[in-house]
Amino acid sequence: MPTNLMWLIFLLPVASFVIVSALIKPFINNESKLPGYVTILAITGSFALSVWALVTVMSAEGHVIDVPAITWLNIGNLTISINMIMDSLTAVMLVVVTFVSLMVQIYSLGYLHRDPVNTVDTGFPRYYAWMSLFTASMLGLIIAGNLLMMFMFWEMVGLCSYLLIGFWFHKPAAANAAKKAFIVTRLGDFGFLAAILLIFANTHTFDTNALRDLAMTGVLAGNVLTWAAIGIFAGAAGKSAQFPLHVWLPDAMEGPTPVSALIHSATMVSAGVFLVARTFPLFVFSTQALTTVAIIGGFTAIFAASMGMVMNDIKRVLAYSTISQLGFMMLGLGASGLGIAHESNLTAEIIRGATAVGIFHLFTHAFFKSLLFLGSGSVNHASGTFDMRKMGGLGKAMPWTCITFVIGSLSLAGIWPLAGFWSKDEILAKAMENQPFLFVLALITVFMTAFYMFRAVFMTFSGEYKGGEVHEPHDAQEKASDHEEHNAHTTQPHESPAIMVLPLVLLSILAIVAGFWNITGAFSAFMGHETESKTIIQGLFGVFTENWLPIASLLVAISGIFMAYVMYSVKWLSPSKIADGFFKPLYILFSRKYYMDELYENIIVSKLLLGGLFKGFQKLDEQVIDGTVNGAGSGTRNSGNVLRKLQNGQLQFYGLFIGIGIVAIAVCLFIFG
Amino acid sequence: MDFTLLTPELTLLVTAIAVILLDLFISRKGFLTVVSLLGLAIATVFTFGLRDDLSQAAFSKMLAVDNFAFFFKLLFIGIAAMVIIASTDYVSKFKNFRGEYHALILIATLGMMLMAATTELITVYVSLEVASISLYALSGFLKDGKSSESAVKYMILGAVSSAVLLYGMALVFGVTGKTQIGEIAASIQLSGYSNLLDNPALIMGIVLLVAGFGFKIAAIPFQMWVPDVYEGAPTPVVGFLSVGSKAAGFAIIVRLFFTAFEFPESLSLDWGAIYAVLAIAGMIIGNASAIAQSNIKRLLGYSSIAQAGYLLVGLATLGIAPANEVIGRSSILFFLISYALANLGAFVAIIAISNKIESDEIKDYAGIGKRAPVLALCLTVCLISLIGMLPTAGFMAKFYIFNGAVQNGLLWLVIIAVLNSVISAFYYLRVVKAMWFNEPASLEKVPSSGALRFSLLITTLGVLFMGIVPNLLLTFAEWAARILRF
Amino acid sequence: MLETYGFVGLFIIVTLGFAAIMILLPVALRFLKVVPHHPTSVKNATFECGMETIGKTWVQFNFRYYFYALLFVALDVLVVFIYPWATQIRQLGYSGLFVIAAFMGIVLVGYLYAWKKGALEWN
Repeated sequence: MPTNLMWLIFLLPVASFVIVSALIKPFINNESKLPGYVTILAITGSFALSVWALVTVMSAEGHVIDVPAITWLNIGNLTISINMIMDSLTAVMLVVVTFVSLMVQIYSLGYLHRDPVNTVDTGFPRYYAWMSLFTASMLGLIIAGNLLMMFMFWEMVGLCSYLLIGFWFHKPAAANAAKKAFIVTRLGDFGFLAAILLIFANTHTFDTNALRDLAMTGVLAGNVLTWAAIGIFAGAAGKSAQFPLHVWLPDAMEGPTPVSALIHSATMVSAGVFLVARTFPLFVFSTQALTTVAIIGGFTAIFAASMGMVMNDIKRVLAYSTISQLGFMMLGLGASGLGIAHESNLTAEIIRGATAVGIFHLFTHAFFKSLLFLGSGSVNHASGTFDMRKMGGLGKAMPWTCITFVIGSLSLAGIWPLAGFWSKDEILAKAMENQPFLFVLALITVFMTAFYMFRAVFMTFSGEYKGGEVHEPHDAQEKASDHEEHNAHTTQPHESPAIMVLPLVLLSILAIVAGFWNITGAFSAFMGHETESKTIIQGLFGVFTENWLPIASLLVAISGIFMAYVMYSVKWLSPSKIADGFFKPLYILFSRKYYMDELYENIIVSKLLLGGLFKGFQKLDEQVIDGTVNGAGSGTRNSGNVLRKLQNGQLQFYGLFIGIGIVAIAVCLFIFG
Repeated sequence: MDFTLLTPELTLLVTAIAVILLDLFISRKGFLTVVSLLGLAIATVFTFGLRDDLSQAAFSKMLAVDNFAFFFKLLFIGIAAMVIIASTDYVSKFKNFRGEYHALILIATLGMMLMAATTELITVYVSLEVASISLYALSGFLKDGKSSESAVKYMILGAVSSAVLLYGMALVFGVTGKTQIGEIAASIQLSGYSNLLDNPALIMGIVLLVAGFGFKIAAIPFQMWVPDVYEGAPTPVVGFLSVGSKAAGFAIIVRLFFTAFEFPESLSLDWGAIYAVLAIAGMIIGNASAIAQSNIKRLLGYSSIAQAGYLLVGLATLGIAPANEVIGRSSILFFLISYALANLGAFVAIIAISNKIESDEIKDYAGIGKRAPVLALCLTVCLISLIGMLPTAGFMAKFYIFNGAVQNGLLWLVIIAVLNSVISAFYYLRVVKAMWFNEPASLEKVPSSGALRFSLLITTLGVLFMGIVPNLLLTFAEWAARILRF
Repeated sequence: MLETYGFVGLFIIVTLGFAAIMILLPVALRFLKVVPHHPTSVKNATFECGMETIGKTWVQFNFRYYFYALLFVALDVLVVFIYPWATQIRQLGYSGLFVIAAFMGIVLVGYLYAWKKGALEWN
């Protein structure tokens, strides 16, 4: 593949953004689907090129292709270039992002069609413009070969996320969620920026390959390296919603469901994981940083899963599930990094290979999680609500949605031989080797994951239909999430149109087969981690003969599903009794999200910041700064008055001024020169 | 006498005469714009045609045909074309003199092109006057009180500064006995100059040259004409003046000082110091005065004084840096392109808006964002570029010029300049705020003609292009910074 | 070098001194009563000799005079340039002829312009 064409992967969505926003928006009416078609066309092109790039990279020596850098700025001895990294990590990410994005754009054609907001707002072009921009920024982030570019695209995906969460900006809940997401991720980005500056101050380069070499030769080491890695991880934690910066993601579900499917499950939130993988050479040489990644990841996984078990809003269940799975990926990265950290003679290949575990889970997760989100959108399309308590029995009415949703859930729960099983299994294995305590947490998380997913499945698709949307919301949380409920709701739920079902089917196929890529060890080998290669049959069945772990995790997952079956399908156990009985404190703790929102909003923001720090600032502002500014202001005003008097319009005076100027310059020169 | 080397200039002269004659005999005056643009296009072709002849002296070393002149010829042609396109609506205000208007712009452009190429003091003076006198006349074209006042003030102060300039040239000639700048340099080196007390007459001549050219580039304290002329003169002419005249001034300063006074080093350190001081004065006084303005044309007038201050930082670098270092010159060239695009864009937007709302007051710009979103957006981009924020040309230009200064030990100057940039954000953003966040007086749309939109689009896209993909023009500026010494 | 400028300085001082003396001398002489002081109405008049002016001092000239004056100056300058060319016509050859023709052409355009604009009509 010619390297010039690789830029096109990124440039096509840019072009569709420009076309949609600049040309189409002013000239067509809101009903036209033209923006959608333009975007889909562009992303199809990107996807095709990405696949081509993937094939090219697979056949390339060392799975890396050198793409000539474009010099962006060349001033004296400072050169900043736009360079692309085209290695296995990039290629895999490109395919994932373009494919999921394509699916979501197609789905959106059907989903947005009945969006009531369209009638009052130019929703359709705006939606596709931002979706194109998001895809472009995400692809830019993936191909970026230096930290400066990465940071730029990093901020741009954040901006797109903000715009799309607040897509229905006239809803206060959506506007607030958008703001919250923006501010919370900014906290993490601060760490990222600090890390970039720290790195640049010490190495005078932004280039990731150069940094890798510096880290490998030991030039970049010690505290600087650790703090840089932790700073980068702070940015990653913000974007990937890791504890304690996870609070924005559940609220972000206020955005349109396809947005949640693309941005808040498959792509942008996994950018944090990608960032850690891309800068992995910095992490590998700092045990502290790796341990931090592993612990935060493992803790987030179980922490979020516990909340996912009690949510009633289907999208929030999925949101917590996403957080939890991202934690898994981080755990995978941290643990496998610790696995190679003490080896001598690390090569770039080995380091990249170590990220295979986390990235493989990212790869499979993208398919089944976007599938689940799109499925939840389809359910909403039928029932007009996201509240699972008002659903039920939808399986008969919408067979396609039901089947694909179940496939997604099985995959997420980690049931053999679906995609999720393979990727999750590897993370568990790495964790067991390197962090036994986190391994136990992860195993519990597997149980919880299976439980909450099938709780959702049973509540949504089995039993009797409970009427969907009801007009009086019961509590505040519902109120926050019922923005799509006033969609004209038919009495009988029905299957979604074909244009929405098609992406579901395609994604569910991938949710089944995506895992097969690594059964033979091909994916790990592609990433640079050479293992003995197996045949498909060996890999598919042999996995249970090697050790007890896959069997154990499978049993744990099945017991989780069984538990959900017992409680929500055949109802041998009543969920409400459990919630009221022995587990009541836990139930309250989970459903109030560990009081994290309260902690942030009531204690940190209102008491500490508003009451303490900001009040202090206000005092300082009133007494010191205002005084200074007023002084400076009157000084400026006075000098302004003097200047105005000088500018009096009198010609002879102007001429005199020229003369005075000449004399002054000459005198100064002769005195000081 | 190789006249082919003068083809671009001669084309403009012929076009100017043709426009005047056509104006007498035809009634469809729109044709004049077409002819002028055609002339500029042909001049561009001829300029490119000279690319193979670059780096030679012409007419007994009176004119240089080099990269530097090539760069400025293209710049001036571009500026003139933008101004003429932007004037298509505006000229209907002048009932009788549309032909003269176009011809004067072409002749002023011709003068500026010669200024960028001359290597001899008398030619410098003649070309400078060709450009200036045309601009004096153009300033008075509205024929109302303010416009006439501005023209007269501009002319008289211009005459004073010309006198100063001539005096300076006379002193330099007196000391060296030469008018050709390469020979001046040789003569100064022969005289064994080691510090300024060796040769106070030369220094005095240089001070007077600085003052004379300082008038053209609106350096403090020779800038007094700027606010009055900017407020009174026709807006397209102000745009032309603020960009073209200033660029021509910098072109001649860079060539003259770099060629004639670069050696010995102590001499270039002396004038570098003068420019450093002028830079500080320009930035501080320009910005401080701009804050208090309520008229947007006056505001841009003071802003152009401040921008000249940033450019003077580049001149100070040129004086202080070693002669073989290209960064002082190339950063000035790059800044000039960036400034030309942003400032022209701002003026075109102002022409479009003010024509319809019939006011130049900032408070009347309230809510323009709702009434004319495209115009307001472009004006915002241009103002952001003038502040020097990402992702616009202004950022790159300032970064480049300041980077060069820092590398040559002018950190203190750069700190002052950066502080001033921060201050300047205040008054530029005040306009932006008024346009987007204040309530409009009426909801009536502000229409604009295709020509205005076209030129606005070109400048705005240029500003963004230079900000996002700067390297192309950086390379060009570095290529163009090669000045021929002979 | 510097002492050469000493002469310039001396020259400036002498010049300033001379001017000061010229201004101060009559005052000083009158102060010393060397000069008699007997003012009369004739002595105080603006014009001590010659004709008294008739009518107002601020007479308005017809501005058309300026047009003619300018056109005349243009011709004048033309002659100033043509004359030296004419004396050396053989040596300058065809290139000289071409240049002078271009020069005359420009002046001609100027006359054409003035004519069309009505500068030659007196009404």
